[in-house]
Amino acid sequence: MNAIEIVGLSKTYGKIVALNNMSLVVPEGTIYGLVGPNGSGKTTLIKALVGSLRPNSGYVQVLGLDPLKDKWQLRKQIGYMPQSPALYDDLSARDNILFFGKAQNVPDLHRKVDEILLFAELTPRANDLVRTFSGGMKKRVSLCCTLIHNPRIIFLDEPTAAVDPNLKMQSWILFRKLAQNGVTIFVSTHQMDEVLLCDRVTILRNGEILAVDTPQNILKLGKSRLKISVNDEERTAVIDSNPNDLASELQKFGLDKNITSVELQSDNIEDIILSIVHEKEKEGRS
Amino acid sequence: MKHTIIIAQRVLAQLKGDRRFLALSIVGPLIIIYFLKLLLDTFPPMVNVKSFTIPFCAFIVHFLSFILCAILLVQERTRGTLERMMIGGFSKTSIIGGYSLGYFGLATVQVIAVLSESIWLFKLSYDIQTVALMFMVIWLLAIVSVMLGIFISTFAKQEAHVLPFIPIIILPSVFLTGLIIPPGGLPVWAQILGKCLPLHYAVNIINEIIKAEYSVSAILVDFGILTGYIFVLLVLASLTLKETE
Repeated sequence: MNAIEIVGLSKTYGKIVALNNMSLVVPEGTIYGLVGPNGSGKTTLIKALVGSLRPNSGYVQVLGLDPLKDKWQLRKQIGYMPQSPALYDDLSARDNILFFGKAQNVPDLHRKVDEILLFAELTPRANDLVRTFSGGMKKRVSLCCTLIHNPRIIFLDEPTAAVDPNLKMQSWILFRKLAQNGVTIFVSTHQMDEVLLCDRVTILRNGEILAVDTPQNILKLGKSRLKISVNDEERTAVIDSNPNDLASELQKFGLDKNITSVELQSDNIEDIILSIVHEKEKEGRS
Repeated sequence: MKHTIIIAQRVLAQLKGDRRFLALSIVGPLIIIYFLKLLLDTFPPMVNVKSFTIPFCAFIVHFLSFILCAILLVQERTRGTLERMMIGGFSKTSIIGGYSLGYFGLATVQVIAVLSESIWLFKLSYDIQTVALMFMVIWLLAIVSVMLGIFISTFAKQEAHVLPFIPIIILPSVFLTGLIIPPGGLPVWAQILGKCLPLHYAVNIINEIIKAEYSVSAILVDFGILTGYIFVLLVLASLTLKETE
């Protein structure tokens, strides 16, 4: 079953096109990544899916429900973590989580709050006011508020920005565990290393989908630059990331004893995504 | 109803956690009333300054309840907690209800503090029934102000956007509602405008009940109109508080 189905979704703010005829499908139990530069439409798309934005046109279903018409049924089953912490600074971490847990009538709430605080390594600061927390700690509290009612689908808008590497890793381990238990994770990110942790990725630019694929397939779109120095003269060949291409390129040189060094520079996921975005921008200009 | 109580409890807990806000809400009006006392003491003896005292108390509570509630609700919007509450399962009605209920508590403390200080500072001697009526009218006005704050907050995207509503809504109350002079001498259009402002009815009631002899029937209509404001503003706030962009 698909957790999310979007067909021809569009949203404009005056003359600005935030989402342009967007269509995509997210299978249940997957970690689905959204990447793209600022203003590409990631947050707008998430807001349309959680029912806090009314699109101009298009069809959206989340868990088989319309985010606007079936909002009460849907809101029990989704978790939403906005980009800003969206917490009450004058309440403690515990009280913030309790507040959002009470909204969803979570059974055995106090025990669950203790558990989630432990996971987020916030137990020692649980009763401190959120206003005394660092940005990363606020993100952790926000994540706890999102997960407290065991949602079936979780929308995360840049969840690990400003979070330290250790907790970031733990968060992704948790996301994977949740996905294995059938929870769908829909996550927007700026951090390219996180793209590789998704099952499927959509690259957005100016409200349009540029590519949808697995991170592995996106990596295959990358090029490698083979730099060969012959008698200290550097020659560069751009090849596909394929061992056969590398071999045939080297055969041209017969691995001469004068070849003093061989260096292979492969595009990383960031290079590939940026090149896809730039290519589309060039196409748009021409 | 359960969600309304959860939000009201959260509002009260938040107020408790924000000491500056609490100080502004409770100590602020007390200081302003002391300044009023200093001002009224300079008036010549023939002026009956006591007739200004309680209406001014009502105005101070009206102004502060409106501005503080509007700003707090705008903060909810700018920080994203309002959107999060709605997506998290709270309805518009429970949010408005919860905010109002939370502020009823604050308004009650505010009115008790302001009335007690005024009676003590200005050496006012009213019977218990009159004081109870004064409490009721200022308390009702505080609730109207909270509703007005919720309603106005829907037109503001930042805290600063609330400020232009002070000269539009609050300051005309000072001049057109009988707070300083009876509005009878004003042009008819100004009198009509004054009658649109809730403070007009609160001042009417207070001016009536501080008379040596007053009739309950004379204040019932004004009490009814003041209560009506609560329901009208509640409906308006419900209609204008947006769940979606």
